[in-house]
This record gives sequence, C-alpha cells and structure tokens, in this order.
Amino acid sequence: MLHAAFVRSPHAHARIVAVDPSEALALDGVVAVYTAKDLDWLAPMVSTGPMREGVVAQSRTPLATDVSRHVGDPVAVVLARSPYLAEDGRDLVEVEWEPLPPVLDPLAALEPGATLVDEALGTNNISHLEQSVGEVEEAFAEADHVTRIRFHSGRSTAAPIECRGVVAEYEDRAGGRYNVHSSTQMPHLLRMLMAPVLGVPEGRLSIKAPDVGGAFGLKCSVFPEDIVIPAVARLAGRPVKWIEDRWEDLAAGVHSKDMHCTMEIAAKADGTMTAFRGHFVTDSGAYSSIPFTPLVDSQVAGVYLSSCYGVQNVAYAVDNPLTNKCQIGAVRGVGWVPGQLAREVAIDELARALEKDPVELRLQNMIGPEVYTTPFGQTYDGGSYTASLEKARDSVDYAAFRERQAKAREEGRYLGVGFSPFVEPTGWATSSAAAGGLPNGFFDTASVTVEPDGSVTVTTGLHSHGQGHETTLAQVTADELGVPMESVRIVFGDTDTSVFGMGTYASRSAVLGFGSIHESAVQVKDRLVRLAGAMLEADHTDIELVDGVANVKGVPGKSVPLQQIALFGYFGGPARPDDVQRDGLTATSGYNPGETYANGCGAAVVEVDVRTGLVTIEQLVAVEDCGVVLNPTIVKGQVAGALANGIGIALLEDLAYEDNGEFVSGSLLHYLYPSTTEVPDLTLHTIETPSAVSAGGVKGVGEAGTISAPAAIVNAVMDALSPFGVVVEKTPMTPEYLRELLRAAESNGSAPARH
Amino acid sequence: MKTRQGTVAVELTVNGEKRVAAAEPRMLLTDFLRHGLGLTGTHVGCEQGVCGACTVLVDGQPARACLTFAVQVEGGCVDTVEGMAEPGALSDVQQAFRAEHGLQCGFCTPGMLASTEALLQENPDPTDDEIREYLSGNVCRCTGYQGIIAAVRRVANERKAASRDA
Repeated sequence: MLHAAFVRSPHAHARIVAVDPSEALALDGVVAVYTAKDLDWLAPMVSTGPMREGVVAQSRTPLATDVSRHVGDPVAVVLARSPYLAEDGRDLVEVEWEPLPPVLDPLAALEPGATLVDEALGTNNISHLEQSVGEVEEAFAEADHVTRIRFHSGRSTAAPIECRGVVAEYEDRAGGRYNVHSSTQMPHLLRMLMAPVLGVPEGRLSIKAPDVGGAFGLKCSVFPEDIVIPAVARLAGRPVKWIEDRWEDLAAGVHSKDMHCTMEIAAKADGTMTAFRGHFVTDSGAYSSIPFTPLVDSQVAGVYLSSCYGVQNVAYAVDNPLTNKCQIGAVRGVGWVPGQLAREVAIDELARALEKDPVELRLQNMIGPEVYTTPFGQTYDGGSYTASLEKARDSVDYAAFRERQAKAREEGRYLGVGFSPFVEPTGWATSSAAAGGLPNGFFDTASVTVEPDGSVTVTTGLHSHGQGHETTLAQVTADELGVPMESVRIVFGDTDTSVFGMGTYASRSAVLGFGSIHESAVQVKDRLVRLAGAMLEADHTDIELVDGVANVKGVPGKSVPLQQIALFGYFGGPARPDDVQRDGLTATSGYNPGETYANGCGAAVVEVDVRTGLVTIEQLVAVEDCGVVLNPTIVKGQVAGALANGIGIALLEDLAYEDNGEFVSGSLLHYLYPSTTEVPDLTLHTIETPSAVSAGGVKGVGEAGTISAPAAIVNAVMDALSPFGVVVEKTPMTPEYLRELLRAAESNGSAPARH
Repeated sequence: MKTRQGTVAVELTVNGEKRVAAAEPRMLLTDFLRHGLGLTGTHVGCEQGVCGACTVLVDGQPARACLTFAVQVEGGCVDTVEGMAEPGALSDVQQAFRAEHGLQCGFCTPGMLASTEALLQENPDPTDDEIREYLSGNVCRCTGYQGIIAAVRRVANERKAASRDA
C-alpha cells in the first residue's frame, strides 16, 4: 500500500507556471508524483446537480491544471511508502506560482468587470434565481411599516471529528475494476458520480463506507481526492491510501452558510405581516460543489422563506458569486440556517419597531396546525407551529424572565431571550425536492430477508454515521415483522451488498428508511403468516407474530417459532404458497413519500458581559415536532447535537480569510467549536404531530436544532443589548464583534451609564 | 524499513502487556499504536492536540497521543481503549456511555473514555461543573455532550454506591 499526500496551493489565486517533482522523486521511499497532466485521461468533474435556466454548470479537473483557485486547492499528489515519507516528498515538490489578484468580496464579484475566478465561465455568478408570488410590490407600497435588515451569516463547516479518507485499488483484470473505501455518506450516489469521471461503468466501481466518524452533510459531496486516489492507484499499480488531515479538512473540504442576506418585511400597524422579500448572496467559493452546488445554501434560504407564517406575498432572489475561497457545499442545516436567521432577526426587529411582544407578534402571524400550502407551493403535512412556540415560551418562564431581566439591568447585567420557530423540510424525496426547487428524483429502497434460521437481514442504501440506524431501522423491522430486535441485522455502506439508495443527508433517513423497510416487511410478513397458517392448520388471518413466535389468536398453545416457519418457507416443498416457492422470504421495495416537514421552536436565554462581549447561554430550549418518534433517545441525541452545532454557528465558528486570501482558520485552535463548557444542560421537549402523508407518520429530525438555535441566540443577544441600541448584523457573535458594537454605542452616547 | 531518520526499537507496556516495535524517532504515538501495534481504537482527529480524540493514559495520566512521540514513552505504560475491558465485555465507563447515549458516531469516544477514567481517578465524585471543565479538552461533534456528562455522573454514582456497599 502506498500513501498519498497532496501538494496544495498556498495562494488564493495563482497561475501554476511549473511543477518540478525531481527533488521529491529523489527521496528514498517516494514512489511517484502526479500532476493534472498525468490525469488528463479522466473526464472532468462537472457540477450538474440541479441544472436549469439561470444555473451555470462548472467543470473542473481534480488536480488544478493551470490556475489554483483557493488556498488548499490540490495541484499534485505524492505517493510514498509511508505517510511520513509522502509528506516529506510533498514538501520537496517545487511549484512555481504567479499570484493573481484574488476575488474575495462576493458582492464585488457580482459587479461588471470583476476579476473572474473561472474564466471559462465568463461570469462569477454561477446561479441567479428569483421567484415572486402574490402582490409583493403592492404589499410593500401599502405597508404601514417596513422592516429591512442586512445579515451576514458566517462561514462555518462540519469539521467532523474524523476527517475524510479514501483508500483505493485498481484490479487490472476482467476489464478493470476500482475498489474504493471511502468516508462518504452516500455510497451509491458517489459511485454514480465518480464512475463517469474515472471512465468505467458503475459495475466496475465498488464503494465501501462501513464506519464513518461523523459527516453532517460534508461527506455527501464528491471531492477531487475521491477521483485522484483511485486514478493514481491505477497509475501506480498499487493500492493507495489518503487520510485527510485537519488543515485539509478546514481549508479544502466544503464550507457552508456564508451568506449575505437582505430581508424585508411589510407589516400593518396591528402587526400583521403582509409580505416577505429576501435577497440571498452566497459567497460560493471557487468551485460549484458536486452534486448539490452552492444553491444548497442560497436557494433553500429563499424558497422556504414563509416558514410557519401565513404571509401570502413572498419574493426572493439568490446569487452565487464564485470567490477564491473553499467551495460551499451541504452541511447540517444548509441554507435554512441563514434563511432562518434573516427572517427571525427581522421579525424581532419588526417587534421592536412596533413595540410589540416578539412572541405575540409571531403567534399573531402563524399558520394553523392543519395541512397548509405555502405561497411557493410546499404542502406542509400538519404541524404544531403555535403550540411549539408556546411551549418554548413557557419553558423559559417568559413573564418571570422579563421581570428578572429588568432587575438585572438595574444592576448593570444584560440578559436577553430570543425565539426561533421553524419549519424543516425532511424526508427528502421527489416531491419534497421539487417543492424545494430541486428538479431531481429521490427515493430509496430496502430489502428485507428472513433467513432460513429466522434471523432477519435488511439492506438499505441509506447510510449511518452516528444516527443509530442499526438501532432504529432494526426496531422498525422488528415491530413490523413481530420478531425480536436483536435478530435483525441492518446492512449498509457497501455498493456491492446493499440495494441502491440515495444515502443519508437532509434529515431523510427516518422517513425513507421507515417507509422502504415497512413496504418490504409487510410483504414478507404476509408470507410468514400464510406459512404459519398452513403449518398450524389455521386461517392466516388468525395468525399473529409476536416476538418471533406465530400464534393462533385465541388458541393458547397453538404456536410455531419463526425459525420453523422460515425453514418451512425455504424447504417446505409444494405445501408452500406459490409466491413463497418463487420469491422465498425476501422482498425489496422502494419508497418515495410525499412532502414531510418537521417543525418546532428554539428559545435561548443569554447573558452578555458588556465589558468583554462574552455571551453565556443560560438556557437553550428546543421544542421538536418530528411527527411520530421512532426512538426518543436517538431523537434527543440528534436534537442536542444539532443545538450544539447551532451554538457554534452563533458564537464561535468562523472560517476566516485575510484580505489577501490567506486562510487563517486551519486548525481547531483557530476554528473553535463548542466544548462541554459552551453547551449548557439543554431543555428538550417533544410534540408529536403525525405526518399526514408519510408511512407511520414519521418526519425527519437531523437538522432541526442547527436551524433553530442560531436565530434564537442572535435574538437573545439583541434583546439583552437593546438598551444599547446595537444592531447585530452577523454571526458568529464573537466577543470582539460585540465589543466593537458596544464601543460604537458607548462613543455615540446611546449606551446606558456604566455601573 | 529504511527511512530518512532510521528506526529504533521502542519497548513499552500497552494495556499491561510488554510490546516492542520499530519506530522512527519522529513517529507519533498515535501512529505507533495504530499502525505499529494494530491498536486502531485510538483515533486521530486533528494532530494538533486540540480535539482530544487520541487521548490515552500514559503512566496513568491522560496524554495526547498525537502530540507524543512513541520514543518518549519508551519503558512506560500506555493504556488504550482496547485495554478497558475483556473482549466482548464493557467497562463500567463504557457501559455508562452506552446507557446514557453518550456517543453517536463514536469517533471521539475512546478519548472521552480515557479522560473520564483519569477524571474519576483524580476526583471520584465530581460536580457537573467539574465534569464539564475536565472534559472540555475532548470535543464531540455529534452529541451536544448531554449524554456524555450524564454517563460520567452515572459511573461516579455507581462507583460511589459500590464502595458504600463494599
């Protein structure tokens, strides 16, 4: 096995004049150095995700050919006998660079005449979309009050504790075959997207992703390394292993949520909100990420803008300027987070302007719990919109808090509370994708087999990287079949052994997993009860399967264990039903549900130390309604982890570039995320509104906390600092940033006297 | 293996067993454990000493294996997650993490377990604040720490109850 290390650009934007590998190759233990020239037999990587009018496809080579476009852009790969030697070799590769002016300001990148990040495209703006429904202009013209805010949602990423990795070999026989171990969260889609670049049919590419140490959306992109490692394994004729280091993860994986938002609300004097209008500009980085493109942030901020409010006049525009930074891709909460920030911060601003209570103002404008179609055509499957907000309000003891807040202010202490009710599209399938503006099909399949000994094997194309599918999907199977959960094995993460599936992301697996397994298990169970009926000489409608034993209802003692039923099913001769003789005890079904939307509300109580700018979270509440809860422990775990991520986004996480494009957040010393001392004991509540459309009434849950928490925390900080009249316009709200705002307030006299 | 720096034999006690393997002087303890000795339970999250995933006990004290050279622990004792319980069994700390849903992807878990062992050695009955302070050098991206704090509290209580009963 050889080990790979990548030579990466230290420049934001530079022409690659020459690459000289001779010193590296002279080092004992270095086996090869490859550049883009050596990989010219590969097809380009093309971002073809949600293509339509207004969206430009971008093509790239996995190793930069003539120009590097961000710090960390790979330009060469060194193969050596150990990872240490590979890194030694990497340091000896001489690259001659000609630095070019970097494009760093996404708004300037949209101006005519701006330097182009990718000259082949002829523009920096790789997607401009807009949509308007109702009488938006009229509503703003007739409004008693218009609130307009700007908000910059900061640049963060997933940074799972386990970085990415690719191990690949090429078998040069029988037409050639790539075997790839990958840390992906979507094995089949990765195979589908890699195969044409490598120039092989999908059947000659196998992806194995057994255990993955956290992903959070980051690992559902296709990266240059996914292509380069199998390609160089083929060139070198030996297996090659690459394990990403943390600097590479932070500099050259995907970034997320860096969005410049403008949000406007038109309202009547009584607080009725009549129109929303948003403009969302994603600082898209140098490459359009594959497959989801930066629209995964900007567009979803726009298309779900009306959220849980009954506003009928809604418009948005999105732009995706390329810049010389790391690409923007899918990370937990995606563009819902900036969209939620923009809308909910604006609603609090409206409440302050109208001198209305922010909770009452929201309740006044909320939709009811029934099925509801939004102006942009999403059909919600019922939810606890007002009930969630009321529950969150009560959880922070709102009335008492206001008294406590007033008293604290007299002592020079600044407490604040903020709310953030949300709707989260979940269970990503064809209809929900279409409703979100992504014209692609999504479904999933599961195969359920009762083995001859009565144990159960389920294969799925979903993937688990911490969500506990081995538990919940086994539970679902066991419930449906009437077998002990311990007898069920869930198989995933291998394109050779699992049925085709779209993978796990976008809070989809509870819905798709439940549905596809349910559909399959129902068929297998039907066969089992007919077999048991034949064995027990009873009508199959009288058979019940409980805990791995078939009983005849109401006839104690008349029973047969599943093991015997299964054996009979496989080898019982002509006494078996025809379909069992033909199909055995395996059923494979797909599932493609209607639109499901989880909802809930976040609430934060914070204290801001106005001398230091430090925000302390006193209480963080999540009310979560993900429909019928499959496993309360796992739901709580998902919500808690997502909330911690939200705390990071609100207060800590910042992938920063210097004015020259240098990347300065390349370690976990600089890119901070919450530890045990930043995440308080969380207040978690559940409301169950069964989905009106999905099997079992299930909705997804993975991203909710990340969507709700940042806006709740920003609103709480703004509430705390309302005596200073400061306007928070970005995340993360670092102490430095808040002190800057407070200093300005102090110098212009709007701050209260110091105690 | 011929390398730039040459190799030396490193002898140490790992999980109570004497082990010897060759290492370059620059080889990190993480790589020595994982690739030299095949003990892949010690995880590598950042190689910057920040995330805590690689935490092992060196002579009973928690240490970042990613900031330690293998040669530095020559003659010493290293305890990794593999040594916490017999194969097929779980230690009380591991059992508590499982019971309290103190892990999701599990990547940070070996380091969390090592730090928890060290904490409870130093302070058998920590307050929640003390647990949070002690574990603040081990980051977890999945759980939001709720189950982790609860797991540590659970072990402390169980051990306290057991010693009362003894």
